[in-house]
Amino acid sequence: MPNDYIHIILADDDEDDRLFFTDAFEELNMNTKVTTYNDGVELMDYLNRDDARLPNVLFLDLNMPKKNGIECLNEIKANSRMADIAIAIYSTSASEEDIEETFVLGANIYIKKPNSFKQLKKVLAEVISMNWQYHTNGLNKDNFLMRL
Amino acid sequence: MYRKVFSKSALFLRIIFILGLFLVLIIGGFTYKHIQNLTDSTKQIVNTYKVNVEFEKVMSYLKDAENGHRNYILTKDTIYLKPYLTGRDKVNESFAQLKEIASDSEEQKNNLKTLSKYIDALFVNFSETTEFIERNQTLSEAFKTNFFEEKIITDSIRQKLDEMINLENSLLKQYQEKHKSNLKFTPLFLYLVLLFTLVLIIISYYKITNDFKNIKEINNQLSIFKEAAVQLEMVGKHGNWVWHVATNTFTFSDNLYRVLGEKPNAFQPTLEGFMEFVHPEDKEKFAKDVEDMMRKEDLPFIYYRIIQKDGAIKHIKGYGKLLVNEDGEKRIIGNVTDISDEIERFLEIEERNLELEKNNKELSEFNYVASHDLQEPLRKIQTFISRLEDKEADKFSSSGRQYLERINVAATRMRSLIDDLLQFSRTNKPDKEFVETDLNELLENAKQDVAESISEAQATVVNDVLPTLHVIPFQIHQLFLNLLSNSLKYRKKDEAPLITIQYSIVNSKTEETLQKVVKGNFHKISFSDNGIGFDPQYAKQIFELFSRLHNKHEYSGTGVGLAICKKITDNHGGFIFAEGQLNLGATFTIYLPV
Repeated sequence: MPNDYIHIILADDDEDDRLFFTDAFEELNMNTKVTTYNDGVELMDYLNRDDARLPNVLFLDLNMPKKNGIECLNEIKANSRMADIAIAIYSTSASEEDIEETFVLGANIYIKKPNSFKQLKKVLAEVISMNWQYHTNGLNKDNFLMRL
Repeated sequence: MYRKVFSKSALFLRIIFILGLFLVLIIGGFTYKHIQNLTDSTKQIVNTYKVNVEFEKVMSYLKDAENGHRNYILTKDTIYLKPYLTGRDKVNESFAQLKEIASDSEEQKNNLKTLSKYIDALFVNFSETTEFIERNQTLSEAFKTNFFEEKIITDSIRQKLDEMINLENSLLKQYQEKHKSNLKFTPLFLYLVLLFTLVLIIISYYKITNDFKNIKEINNQLSIFKEAAVQLEMVGKHGNWVWHVATNTFTFSDNLYRVLGEKPNAFQPTLEGFMEFVHPEDKEKFAKDVEDMMRKEDLPFIYYRIIQKDGAIKHIKGYGKLLVNEDGEKRIIGNVTDISDEIERFLEIEERNLELEKNNKELSEFNYVASHDLQEPLRKIQTFISRLEDKEADKFSSSGRQYLERINVAATRMRSLIDDLLQFSRTNKPDKEFVETDLNELLENAKQDVAESISEAQATVVNDVLPTLHVIPFQIHQLFLNLLSNSLKYRKKDEAPLITIQYSIVNSKTEETLQKVVKGNFHKISFSDNGIGFDPQYAKQIFELFSRLHNKHEYSGTGVGLAICKKITDNHGGFIFAEGQLNLGATFTIYLPV
């Protein structure tokens, strides 16, 4: 059942964060496959491949070299093949401007990177088990920022 | 005020003058009339005497004639007939005189006629008698009769003349009687009029003296004003000019020359002379402004530069206003002010402001960036700590675990410091959007944010209905949140917290804290609690950044929360004050302008 897993992609330039992220999913044991990319360019290169398997959820860091999260978000939403990917913004800051901008651009949820591993696991588990159908069409800004 | 007094005084003097003139004319008229009357009376008297003399003359001529006639009768010598013959002519002469000068009364005229008849009769009688004598019939009856008739006629004439003299005298008396009252009253009247005129003159004199005194006083004040104006011009670097519209000439004040860097009256006060100083770049506009002024007879504020002879450039502000005096003479009174210092100062301040703004912005950016960028490594430290705690805790010794715990506490504290600093720097950012917002909603959200703490502490929050105001929503939310958190944090250990939020509209006059600071109406929102309170002496200090009243081991906190509250109320043009009593509770009162 190789096709049964939940495909998760994380684009983040920070090695530590990528490590926490993969560790968390490993410990969660939720039948997921996590792929990480070091920046926006790598991510888009993969997604643009014809044989690419699009992720169930894409975790997107905003502050990345070469191509940042906002640019990636723009490109993905502009591409009809990828437009339906559930996108979780995964950022250190939770500034009003960033939240506003990514919400307007069509991201599904905004996660502020938690301060502890326990919380990280909790948040990720919640996001994966989220009913995306529900979350995609409900343009509700109030629960756009994930509350911990 | 003086003007009014003087115009009243001038009118008063004019009235007095006209009245005086009128009275003098009256006096003249009366005097003339009076003298006329006197002259008339004298003439009348003289005339009466003349008439009487003439009557006497007639009488005496008649007597002469009679005597002559008698002598002739006695002597028959014709030499005695001479007075008789000349008597007739003389009587006629006197008679003619009498007709002229005797009184005009009808009675006297009749008397004269009668007299004339008598005289004629007498002379007829005389001639008859003479005939008798010539014929020597002197002893005849007819002669005697004739002679007797002569006596009767003579007596009648005498009687008539007496009558006439009496009549003439009585007429004179009547005339004098008639004018007597006039003549008697006139001097008194004249005297009174004279007195009255004198009084008027005295009043005028008093009035004029008074006016003169006032004028002198005003002149004094004017000279003081003038001196003050001159001083003011020098101190304030003003200069005055007057443009006489009708003659198209100018007058410049001394200090106007000084403003131009010249000695007073250094050149003829003409437009051309002034133009020479105007900065070449401003000449065209200045000329146009002056042209406009001459056309519209008004000069609004104009700005231009001048170049003094030594090359110094000065900034000038000009203004003029039309003044029409009572004679309709038009003048534009204008003022030039050297505002170079002002402009220099303004530029300096502006420069400094820009610098400050830049510094402030940099500082705020630095603050934001620093706290923002510090978050990331700290987050990792915290996450690694939690990884250590989860996975490796059992591999540590007990002191190792204690160290780990200490590291964790320190990292958590650093986290809250950074969070608060970030919050503080956000409230500092200039891009604030004011929106009509229901404060009840913001309060509800804030309560929601601390719902966990509320239920944990079993706290009660009671609030009035709040208004809808024009505010920066996220900041007011933050304000409410901070105040609620504050009350929950500094609660008493043994008492459930009670937070009361009250709202009212107040006037600064009734609020002790606002009285001396500001005027107007304010929305007053107060948060009162029954917590541990604080010593009133710290009421101001607690709003300072990083100020803390408690040891951080007793109560967690960064000393930023209330500083943020202060910043937020400042941003809204409002105020926040704290009142407290140790162990009794604290009240934070927010005033937002209406």
